[in-house]
Amino acid sequence: MTNLTCDQAREELRAARRGELSAERTSALEQHLAGCAECRAERALDAALARLPERAAPAQLRERLLASLEAPATLTVARESEAAVPVASAPHKVPPTKKTSRSKYAWASMSAALAIALVIGAGALQNSRNSELLLNEAVNDHLRVLYAQRAIEIESGGIHQVKPWFEGRLDFAPQLDFDGDDEFALTGGAVGYFVDRKAAVFIYKYRLHVMTLFVFRAEGLPWPQLASHRIGTLETTQASSRGFNSVLFRHGDLGYALVSDASAPTVDRLAAKLVRP
Amino acid sequence: MPRAATTPTFAGQVLEHIDALHAFAYRLTRSSTEAEDLAQETFTRAIAAAAQFKTDSNLRSWLFRILRNAHIDALRRARRSPLDEHNELMDASSDGNASELLRGDLEIDRLRHVVAADIEAALFELSHDARSVVLLDLEGFSEAEIAEVMGCALGTVKSRLARARASLRLKLARYAK
Repeated sequence: MTNLTCDQAREELRAARRGELSAERTSALEQHLAGCAECRAERALDAALARLPERAAPAQLRERLLASLEAPATLTVARESEAAVPVASAPHKVPPTKKTSRSKYAWASMSAALAIALVIGAGALQNSRNSELLLNEAVNDHLRVLYAQRAIEIESGGIHQVKPWFEGRLDFAPQLDFDGDDEFALTGGAVGYFVDRKAAVFIYKYRLHVMTLFVFRAEGLPWPQLASHRIGTLETTQASSRGFNSVLFRHGDLGYALVSDASAPTVDRLAAKLVRP
Repeated sequence: MPRAATTPTFAGQVLEHIDALHAFAYRLTRSSTEAEDLAQETFTRAIAAAAQFKTDSNLRSWLFRILRNAHIDALRRARRSPLDEHNELMDASSDGNASELLRGDLEIDRLRHVVAADIEAALFELSHDARSVVLLDLEGFSEAEIAEVMGCALGTVKSRLARARASLRLKLARYAK
């Protein structure tokens, strides 16, 4: 039988790892290994890796996951409301109830009451956590723009130049109705990231302050349920942290995050100009 | 009457993979808290996307892909890049003793003696991407499946895996007495 090459032997070792080798293939592999120290070492690596300690899921994790199927809201964002209304992301219809649910899992019905209590309390907490997460991310992304060597990928000749530039670079059309004015100059745009997805980045300048606007698809982000900071007709979430002021809002399918070290009223003023209701 | 939750069968099927998912998450993060968070996040996203899963495709690789994406999201939030290629570059320019350590049977002997904790530690020294491909290969995924989970080309998987394993052999040889 023809001897295997090292490349072939490595392939066979991989197949062996998946338990795919027949007696004949094993024999051919052994023959190669007998004469090849390198490949023997590869096999020794496999043997070493097989000694990695087991890291199975702890029992409480399994229980939590199973429990979440009965009261799904415990694991995801809870609606802020008095009743225990499960989240709409669960594809099934679940009636709002404070009764413990009957189920084949005895322990699940015990924990359902606890889960419901958690939902109500978690609602408010989750809300502020979500704001924090998104606004913190906005500041991080703004910093990336500030410190990037070439943040501006397209210099602005006006919004009519900047917006079409994004075509083909993003899978959505960033809606933005503000071209800049004497106070807030649109200096350019770039493709960036917001949390985990691509965003259109618009860079404005107010006096010596850089103001970064991120426009991105809103879905799938943990939006805070309460957007309590009103700017004109916009309902936004607002925060100040690490010396930056941020404003976050949704408009249609898109999310907008505006960050700057300019004062909060200035940030609000720009936010108000960005989209036509 | 038991409430028909998110297709109990689907959730049950997902749960069958939870040990493997948790193990992968643990070896990626080396933190039981993060591993549990990742496993939980994967479960939640999988249930939420149940309708999009095609029943004739590979559930396991679909789940691992979700986990990897959740991991990348977590890394981005912590402002750490998963693409720390420099880790692998450091190994390439290793000291001259390397060739000594990797000489065939001497190495094999060392590999036999390296303890489980050190193997885990050596694995953790690799970059996130390198570590991922080694673990996925260990999990029994084919190169094509690994490419799907990692969201990269097949060729990239092959070269990444080869480099990662070579790097690992070097590290383990240093650990072993």
